[in-house]
Amino acid sequence: MRKRIPRVPRTFWRRLSQWAFLLLFFFLFIKTDYTGSDEIEYAVNILFRIDPLLAASVMLAVKTFVALMLPALALLVLTLILGRFFCGWVCPMGALIDLFHPLLKPGTKEIDTRFPQMPLIILLFVLVSAFFGLPMAGYFDPFSILVRGLSLSAYPALNDSLATVFTFTYQEAPPYVNAVTEPVYAFLKKTILPYSQKVYTLSLLSGFILVAVFLAERIQQRFFCRNICPLGALLGLTARAGLLKGHGGSDDCAKCRACRSVCRMGAIDPDRRIGMHECILCLDCLEKCPRGIIDFRFSKPVAGPAPVSLTRRSLMASMAAGALLPMFTGSRTIARLSDPLLIRPPGALAEDEFLERCVRCGECMKVCIGNALHPTFLESGIEGMFSPKLIAQVGYCEFNCTLCGQVCPTGAIKALPLEEKHTFKIGHAFFDKNRCLPYAKGIPCIVCEEHCPTPEKAIGFNTATVKNDRGEEIKVKQPYIVDRLCIGCGICENKCPLPDQAAVRVTAAGEQRHPQKTIPASSMDYY
Amino acid sequence: MNRREFIRDVLLWSAGLTLSIPRLTITESFAASGPSLLAVEKGPDHVQLVRRVLASLGGMKNFVRPGDRVVVKPNIGWDRSPEQAANTNPVVVKALVEEALEAGASRVLVFDRTCNEERRCYTNSGIADAVQSLNNKKARVEYIDNRKFVPVEIKRGKSLTTMEIYKDALDADRYINVPIAKHHGLSGLTLGLKNSMGVIGGRRGMMHFNIGQKLADLATVVQPTLTVIDATKILMANGPQGGDLKDVQIADTILASTDPVAADAYATTLFDMRPDEIESRLRRTKWDSGKWISTR
Repeated sequence: MRKRIPRVPRTFWRRLSQWAFLLLFFFLFIKTDYTGSDEIEYAVNILFRIDPLLAASVMLAVKTFVALMLPALALLVLTLILGRFFCGWVCPMGALIDLFHPLLKPGTKEIDTRFPQMPLIILLFVLVSAFFGLPMAGYFDPFSILVRGLSLSAYPALNDSLATVFTFTYQEAPPYVNAVTEPVYAFLKKTILPYSQKVYTLSLLSGFILVAVFLAERIQQRFFCRNICPLGALLGLTARAGLLKGHGGSDDCAKCRACRSVCRMGAIDPDRRIGMHECILCLDCLEKCPRGIIDFRFSKPVAGPAPVSLTRRSLMASMAAGALLPMFTGSRTIARLSDPLLIRPPGALAEDEFLERCVRCGECMKVCIGNALHPTFLESGIEGMFSPKLIAQVGYCEFNCTLCGQVCPTGAIKALPLEEKHTFKIGHAFFDKNRCLPYAKGIPCIVCEEHCPTPEKAIGFNTATVKNDRGEEIKVKQPYIVDRLCIGCGICENKCPLPDQAAVRVTAAGEQRHPQKTIPASSMDYY
Repeated sequence: MNRREFIRDVLLWSAGLTLSIPRLTITESFAASGPSLLAVEKGPDHVQLVRRVLASLGGMKNFVRPGDRVVVKPNIGWDRSPEQAANTNPVVVKALVEEALEAGASRVLVFDRTCNEERRCYTNSGIADAVQSLNNKKARVEYIDNRKFVPVEIKRGKSLTTMEIYKDALDADRYINVPIAKHHGLSGLTLGLKNSMGVIGGRRGMMHFNIGQKLADLATVVQPTLTVIDATKILMANGPQGGDLKDVQIADTILASTDPVAADAYATTLFDMRPDEIESRLRRTKWDSGKWISTR
């Protein structure tokens, strides 16, 4: 007699797929970095380019077709055929939620979705408000939340913790311990850890939002996916019209409702009918059904549960909110006076279109080799939160680096050829002569001049004879900015040796994306 | 006038000019005869140049003994290509590493604490590739590991009392300093002792206040066995980072000396400058019973 091969549960393939895509996601995430070449090979930005929610939001906002986001169409078409397989089989956020669920699951399982209309409301609100000029998709999109939380918070935190441990062993532990720990650390550095320790503004907030998504599992399984995720809602709407149908309980069925109680999405109603709007094809019900009568196949529409739909009132309300909220943007001071320290990455589009395109994914900040880019808080309004800005005193823009434009999934930051980048003006440096040592204290310095990267230096100096605090007459070199050469990279501010506020500061003045901000200079043509 | 006389004259001359302020005292070590104080070679084949300067100082075996752990410390400070002459010529670095290995070094480490992003500097300077192309496990290019900076008391310092210095530089049996000669806004030129800033930690910008004295102080603890100044291509303006090929001049020169001050002094002449024109340790460093000390 032949041995029977044990049957592989069908959910195994789903789990395998989730793991594979999760690992692929982490691989791309780690690879979103400088790897010795000026061109980036792989980047996690593909995830954002297949996201139809972001594609729709960006295109509605800029009111043109954005070719970079064409792959999103493919996901919609696949969803039309297969339903919400993406949420169950591919989505890295979903996979992580499923991974953490066993640790967090509530004592009693809630079957019905708490706020079934909420994702649709958010979806409508996001799309309508994007159209009217208040882009908010990045706050709710699962990939934005995930990549941002990892890049700005979890990943640097992991690196810092490990560095602390291995610094301790390196400095305090005996050699036989180091014989083990040092190779381990070297291996981790080579494989999964970032090259350098980075710090970010809004690090805790970004991390907290991501953790909150996982903690919501305490309330009910896949809470985020069922009650918030507007991408899921968009895929659900598509799947509703899709070809693949779930055939659930029939008259033959014993009405045990095991399928309903196992469903992580609350997609099965008391009559054991499967709603393809919610179903993510996790296949748990197939395995659970004692009679094995549940089936997914391409077929004509079958009677499903009453599809989730918005009442006329909530439909109107979410659209009205989306249309009305943008009206208030013109009432804020930033409509007239933008933050002088809001320096956007090189290649960033003019502010309005930049924000309309930016999906707050945090990739530019992750890839920024100098740790120069940081999430904005409210400097550019509530719609600008988590968009990138340069904080020169933390990190400067590396002269020969063009990575941020290369990873931007929406073209909010243009991918600049190196030559264009070299002269792309993102801001302008100003000396504070009350603080600058050769001016204020008669101390020789000009570290800024040494580091200025433009081939013809944008920082020059005059030699002056001044008195220092010993009363000695001393010759010092006093630096000044050469307006036509300064590109605002911020290395001068970054390297200024003053212990607190640098004596040379970059502001957004003169940034070339806004011609109206040109600085008057006698060396320029129009003077 | 032969080379040795020339150097002696240059040094005496600069000392004479700076008599009114703290100065380099010319002592017996310069006047002493024996193996050459300083070797200078010119020519288009840079590997040969390295071999020749070493040969005139008695060969690498004079400096590196079998089993020695050697540090070769080039300037890899900037994200610039070799043509732009902001970093030490990779050909020169590679030749020196090879020579050290041939002399029996058990390990040759190459590193620098960079000003621009480390990986970009190591890659685009061509130095990482050059050393790795030797395919020798004993020759290693390493990024700076921040855990390895140790506080060092600068006992004979005038302007510096303590400094964080890279452990591998202090631990090495032989430390070969390989600066590139180039223009520098603050100090006029950057040469051998300025290159030692690549082994110090912390906020290095502070070094710029009273840079001459601080470099002299640093020289009391970071004492190279050998200084090899790469002047194959020299940056005449917009240094130390450069970036414009118009500022680069082909000088096809390499000089080497066991005496960092002598090497720096000679190198100034390549720029049509006098040694005393560089805001410098030349004025403030004194050779005293076998050690460099700072004077004020």
